[in-house]
Amino acid sequence: MEKRDYKNMWVYIEHDGNTAAPVGLELCCEIRKLCDVTGDKLYAVVLGDLPAGEIEKVKGCAVDGIIHVSGTGYGYYNTDAYANAFTVLSKKYNPSAIFVGGSINGRDFAPRFAVQLDTGCTSDAMELEYDKETGDIQFIEPAVGGKIMAVITVPALRPQVGTIRPGTFKYAPAGAKAQVEEIEELIDFPVENIRCRHISFKADEFDPELDIAGSDIIVCVGNGLADEDHLPRYRELAKLLGGKLGCTRPLFDREILPYKLQIGQSGVMIKPKLYLGFGVSGAVNHVAGISADTFVAVNSDPEAQIFNYCDYGIVGDMDTVCDALIGALKARQ
Amino acid sequence: MLRILVCVKQVPDVDLVKMDPETGNLVREGVPTLTNPLDTNALEAAVRMKEKFGGEVTVITMGPPMAESTLRECLAVGADKAVLVSGRPFGGADTLSTSYAIVKAADMLGKFDLIFCGKESLDGATGQMASQLAERFDASQVTGCLLIDNYDESKNVLTAQRELETGVETVEASLPCLITVEKLNYHARIPNLKGKLAAKKAVITTLTEKDIADLDMQKIGVPGSGTIVPRIYPPELPEPGMVIDEGSLEKNVAKLVELLAGKGAI
Repeated sequence: MEKRDYKNMWVYIEHDGNTAAPVGLELCCEIRKLCDVTGDKLYAVVLGDLPAGEIEKVKGCAVDGIIHVSGTGYGYYNTDAYANAFTVLSKKYNPSAIFVGGSINGRDFAPRFAVQLDTGCTSDAMELEYDKETGDIQFIEPAVGGKIMAVITVPALRPQVGTIRPGTFKYAPAGAKAQVEEIEELIDFPVENIRCRHISFKADEFDPELDIAGSDIIVCVGNGLADEDHLPRYRELAKLLGGKLGCTRPLFDREILPYKLQIGQSGVMIKPKLYLGFGVSGAVNHVAGISADTFVAVNSDPEAQIFNYCDYGIVGDMDTVCDALIGALKARQ
Repeated sequence: MLRILVCVKQVPDVDLVKMDPETGNLVREGVPTLTNPLDTNALEAAVRMKEKFGGEVTVITMGPPMAESTLRECLAVGADKAVLVSGRPFGGADTLSTSYAIVKAADMLGKFDLIFCGKESLDGATGQMASQLAERFDASQVTGCLLIDNYDESKNVLTAQRELETGVETVEASLPCLITVEKLNYHARIPNLKGKLAAKKAVITTLTEKDIADLDMQKIGVPGSGTIVPRIYPPELPEPGMVIDEGSLEKNVAKLVELLAGKGAI
């Protein structure tokens, strides 16, 4: 089969049996636009049962069709049954591309079915473009720690598989199409063949300090932070402003702050009214996760990339500026 | 006795990699390399399994001859054997072809019960290798493993905790099993003098494309890759914002407060 004989694009709809995860809907909205360019049809793929109201939400993203898979093995997420379903479906329908939300479980099984299908897999694209000449999707993503952008393609093999992080694309449903094709597939995966089995789940206890996604004000500390002893002033500033503390990836890597406070493409996406970044270099992966009304950057390096993203910047020692800011804010009260 | 494999990678220190503004190529010359940090946590988890249940730990990597130093670092902290897969035809590989080469090389060493990987590499950071290796090893997989709770020898299963977005999942996995490790509970140990000496003396097995049985040359290196990188470019930066320069730090901060208050941001 020639690569141009592979037609249509699929989006995996991750769900917990009750609700469709936002990432699948975000991807449907974005891939809709891509399909309008390529002339492909957009199909949403749902494994296991999902309430009708949620299916309507998927349809609202202007999909051309829904492939619903029933059978044994889909009751709770597991690598074996989920990867197998996509392999079986792909061999039957030969899609040109399959997009999977880059959640922990999405990233768990998508590369696996890509090997089963002997095809190329990409992760973390931030933009998707279509190259008419080659018929390939260009997956554009930050590389080498966010220093460069790389265009990645799957030049010969099909389907083109891509995992994309939650929050990368906007959920902007274009409305349901008049006709939505509904395909029912029965793919039984014998439960005894599931090699990694779900036993139990314990939800994290809610900690408001770790819940930064919805915070209006974020004080973010970056790799410029000398060590943990220098952290309390930033907590104080966050508290003073009625905001929350966040960090960049190096601070998680250095084990100074937990993963849930890591802001960026591979961490939490934030939309605050005010973002204040201290000692943040401005790597693409980090700033891609920020949509702030007002963006403030403080860095001792006047050449730091973060100044390209800010509304207001101060060149100076982060700790000294933080202390002065705390003083100035206290004086206003 | 558990036969344990740990897959590691030598990576450039990405903080020091620069892009040549003229050619648009990445400048890697003179950039120091290190063992991929998350791989050291995978090795630690593997060594702890060996210490608890008995077994042997083999580390494997693919790369140029200089990647030997990474293997020696692993030998110094509990790995028993080390294998370097090396040769020009392996170069330029993506995860599809790297996973093929590693598994074909590992097959030369016999069957493994447990395979450990870091969660992702510092440079490529796709996080895809582990799942692709697991598929090729025909193994179960536990990704994002916080802790291995138990290994039941009679049933040949392990129970482990996976970190998900909103909580912790406990799973039971049949062996052979591939595990990617979260660092929280598996901090890399510091090598002692005995370990360092042993690592210095250890013989590292090098496997070239000629040494690996039934290796399909079309499935390794560039020909075996599913993806290519036709182009890289510097990120497009927006125009710099307003850098406040009022003459002193205090004045700068006062100006910032004034601007933010004026905008209603504070």
